[in-house]
Amino acid sequence: MGLTIDKVFNNFDQSFQEFIDSGPLTKKGKATKLASHIDILSLTRSGLAFLYSKSVELDRGGFFKDTSWSDPDKLVPYLVKGTLNYGHPSSSFETLSELRMLRIAKGEDSYEGISAKDAQKFLEEVIVHNLEFALREPSEETRLRMPDRELKKAYNLFGFIMSEIDLNGVYEKLVEEVRLICEQRPIRTQKARELISLVKRRFDTSGEAKKDKMIRVFINALYTPSRGVRENENKESYLEFLGSADETTLASEAHEMGELMNATGLVSGYHALLLRHILKVNPNLVPICLDLNDRGIAEWEKYHELVSSLILETASWDNCQCIYGLARMLGKNLFSRRAVRVGLENLRRIKINSQVEKRILKSLTEPDADITALQYLIGGTIKVLGQPLGIGQGHNPTCQSARGISMWSQHSPAKLIDMIITVSTQNNLIMRFENQNLVSNNLVKGLLDQLDYNLDVVSVVLVPHLDKIYNEMMRISAGRLEDPHKWVNPAMYGHWIQVDFASCYDYMSNSIMDFPGYQRIFFASFHPDFNGNRHLVYPNPVGIFITSNKGDMIGFHAVSLLRVEKSPSGEMRAYFLNPNNEGRQDWGQGILPSVHGKGEKQGESSLPFHQFAARVYAFHYSSLDVKNRLNEVPVEEIEKVEKLARGSWGKSYTWNQQTKLW
Amino acid sequence: MAKCFALIGWSLPVIESMQKTGRPFVVVSFSDFEPYANENDIPFVSYQLDEWSDTSNSIDLYEKLKAFDADVAVPLYEETVEWAGALNSIYRGDPRVLNRAFLFRNKAMMKRKALIGGLRVGLFEEVYNKEGVKAFMKRLNQANLQLDGEEDSWVHIKPFASAGTVGHRLLRSMDEIDEKCEDSDFPCLAESHLSGREFSCEAFINKGKIRFLNITEYVKLGYSNFIPEGKYLESKRDLIHKEVQKMVDIFGIEYGMVHPEWFLTENDELNFGETACRIPGGHILELCSKSYEFDALAAFVICHDPNITEEELDEIFPEKDFRPKNYHGNVMIYPHKRQFSKLEIPESLNNEPYFVEHTLIAPYEGQKLSADRDGFGNHFGTINFKGEDPDRMTELLKHYEEEEFYV
Repeated sequence: MGLTIDKVFNNFDQSFQEFIDSGPLTKKGKATKLASHIDILSLTRSGLAFLYSKSVELDRGGFFKDTSWSDPDKLVPYLVKGTLNYGHPSSSFETLSELRMLRIAKGEDSYEGISAKDAQKFLEEVIVHNLEFALREPSEETRLRMPDRELKKAYNLFGFIMSEIDLNGVYEKLVEEVRLICEQRPIRTQKARELISLVKRRFDTSGEAKKDKMIRVFINALYTPSRGVRENENKESYLEFLGSADETTLASEAHEMGELMNATGLVSGYHALLLRHILKVNPNLVPICLDLNDRGIAEWEKYHELVSSLILETASWDNCQCIYGLARMLGKNLFSRRAVRVGLENLRRIKINSQVEKRILKSLTEPDADITALQYLIGGTIKVLGQPLGIGQGHNPTCQSARGISMWSQHSPAKLIDMIITVSTQNNLIMRFENQNLVSNNLVKGLLDQLDYNLDVVSVVLVPHLDKIYNEMMRISAGRLEDPHKWVNPAMYGHWIQVDFASCYDYMSNSIMDFPGYQRIFFASFHPDFNGNRHLVYPNPVGIFITSNKGDMIGFHAVSLLRVEKSPSGEMRAYFLNPNNEGRQDWGQGILPSVHGKGEKQGESSLPFHQFAARVYAFHYSSLDVKNRLNEVPVEEIEKVEKLARGSWGKSYTWNQQTKLW
Repeated sequence: MAKCFALIGWSLPVIESMQKTGRPFVVVSFSDFEPYANENDIPFVSYQLDEWSDTSNSIDLYEKLKAFDADVAVPLYEETVEWAGALNSIYRGDPRVLNRAFLFRNKAMMKRKALIGGLRVGLFEEVYNKEGVKAFMKRLNQANLQLDGEEDSWVHIKPFASAGTVGHRLLRSMDEIDEKCEDSDFPCLAESHLSGREFSCEAFINKGKIRFLNITEYVKLGYSNFIPEGKYLESKRDLIHKEVQKMVDIFGIEYGMVHPEWFLTENDELNFGETACRIPGGHILELCSKSYEFDALAAFVICHDPNITEEELDEIFPEKDFRPKNYHGNVMIYPHKRQFSKLEIPESLNNEPYFVEHTLIAPYEGQKLSADRDGFGNHFGTINFKGEDPDRMTELLKHYEEEEFYV
């Protein structure tokens, strides 16, 4: 590798010399070639450092001459994302431009019209607008659009900038980010943990401003969740402290940690140590330690034997997050279901298939040496059962599988546990579709080329199989001149899915057909004002158009519509699960899904009903239930939705006014 | 030494090379380029090169160029060959110079001349419609003693005067004549399929003699090539040199550069494909400059000069026995799909020791290729390689030509 790296540097030097030697007429052409070296160099840290050292010469040599980047004082932070998105050579020029800005910010170079402070502020704004790169958590749009290589370049660039500059200006924005991520209560807490750790390492959080107080709650939740920890800050000394603590001290420790966990959804490693200790010396404190509600306390009292075994088997320093899942499970009385108890007992006794074990271990960042894959799997199962809306698809195009796991967790937890057991022991899964058994190991291909392991343990186990089966169902149903989801969804997810299906896209005419008729069904099915004030019982798998922040069509996505209700302020809103890890996105036309403060339960996203309707292209419903209500939907409502649709994704389609028999 | 070169056609790399030589020149091209030329102090005569009329003709252009003292005209593109020929026939007082330029612009005339002179050419004929092509194929089948049920002889048709592969069609059967030929193709040249290994060379000519011969190895015609030629062609260099000189003699070419395409058979016979006398495509002179360490663009212009001395000539070309240390090759990347949205550069390229650089650019979102592409259409960028082993070079060029860069 060393040899190749040297060669990359040499090639750059040679190309750079040719660029310098060329006259003004061919400089532009040579700059393009030079950019191809910058492209390669920006893939590695050492390459970026090398480019940084060369950035003065490059700039003085006229690399930016006659380009959009020629004047550093005229650059706009907001546009950086667009050029990075656009790909090479734009992204390579952009990378070098940021390095130049970094040089100015650090006072290593000066430009007319831009001070070190301006440059610093510019970079801060760039980071804030590009947290997805800074945190390596790309949005759905970015994931679809950017090639892996470009993503890697962007990650590398932001890593470099963040290690080099003072990040104070970014602070406030990051605090808000932490709050909103945790508000969604993800199962996979790595992103939140990384952000909190970043803020803790890089910022002074000791002030008395609101943001300081808020972030301290999160920092405490992870690092110093109690007085005992503050005074005995590391694993060994805390264990020692616990050994000599009296009951009052333990109660106050339990109380502090339980409350912090409930307030943030985050669990610290110390919490696992405390819980195990309490279980041994004073189990009465468990409900406090888990901050249980009344139902939870009753549940604990009734099933404390099983729950105690589960705690002792799973809760550990690294596997601590499952404690929150357990608390939520108790709060929902899941242990009162016999099938769930039996399932968990079964799960405790399985022998995991070696391939599955590999997958589980690969998904862990810093596994505890003495915790087995099975223990992580049980912990993962508890998390999924406790937080069904916290499931994410990682960087995988597997929204359907994530949606399924979430649905089973809510409405058929025992079935889910059973599926986890089958796949974990057999590394195989069989599902039935239209009179044939689909055996995932006999199927070749899913949507997934390579699993991104940034997933919770249960997803890591199930998704590769669910994905293949889903894909096979789609393949079998293709060519029927209707959306294959019509048949696939009920087969895949189960009998909770209504069998009637409406899509605004008509396969025969390749157009959007009878949009008003389609929307009337949507309103009559889900809007309480027009469906006889009925509420959704089960999640409805809904297909949506993903649009950019300019409203342009990007692709398709699967979400679950969970409920339609009035928000605290009296607005009719659709509450849904977006399995792409991040419920907050900008869909253009002012359509901004909210995750907090508009009546959302943790993990839900929400939009005003008509805005949500304007992005839905397909859903399931019951024709029997809507048939007498269709004419009650007011024309004005439909028109409002149609206007939004036509002004966004609708531009990518032909519209057909013909009336359709639904 | 020439008082002033008139460069017919607009090419920034050529202009820059000429600036570096310090020799006087003037650029003749369309008025669109005039503002840029003025801004950058490039001597420029704006001319309507695509029109021939009372106000747009060689005598008129000759008068306009007098102000610059021009005495040598150099064609940079296929379409400016006649203009340069007309001017040079005035400068040299030899009307046949213009006729020779026509030779390059009419492939039927070119073949006839080659045939008379004794070069190996295929059977050829001017055709005016599909029936003509069918009759040609039928006669070719007869000559090849076709039996019932045997496949038809392959026929190529190409316009009389187009660069490279533009408008070139290969017809493998009678049916394909109906399928592939358009009325707008005619009249054109029909010729039998030449067998052998295809390659091109660039012979820089002065006073009727080859001053420097470059041989370009085609890995895939129109996609990839490298310089100098690989081992096999190198072993045939003397043969090729002789044959090219023979062609130069037959055509009576005195100055400039010829860019003939040949087919080398297993019996060491060279079939003549066609020749041009302008700058070849595929960045060939760029590769040639790098491998032979000289400015091939400047040399291309300068060897058009009848008044240059032997010493000056020696100065612009590499030493007679110079053999390049490295092979320089390139592959031009075309999207394989009709619609694509991303540029994906494979990781393997970063770590490829032969890789030098590329000029690939990302497409705009959902970019589509238009259905009516001419020749190979425009490529989306070039990847350059450099290395010591021609076989490895061939392997790499083949590999990356097939790689999907646009998805």
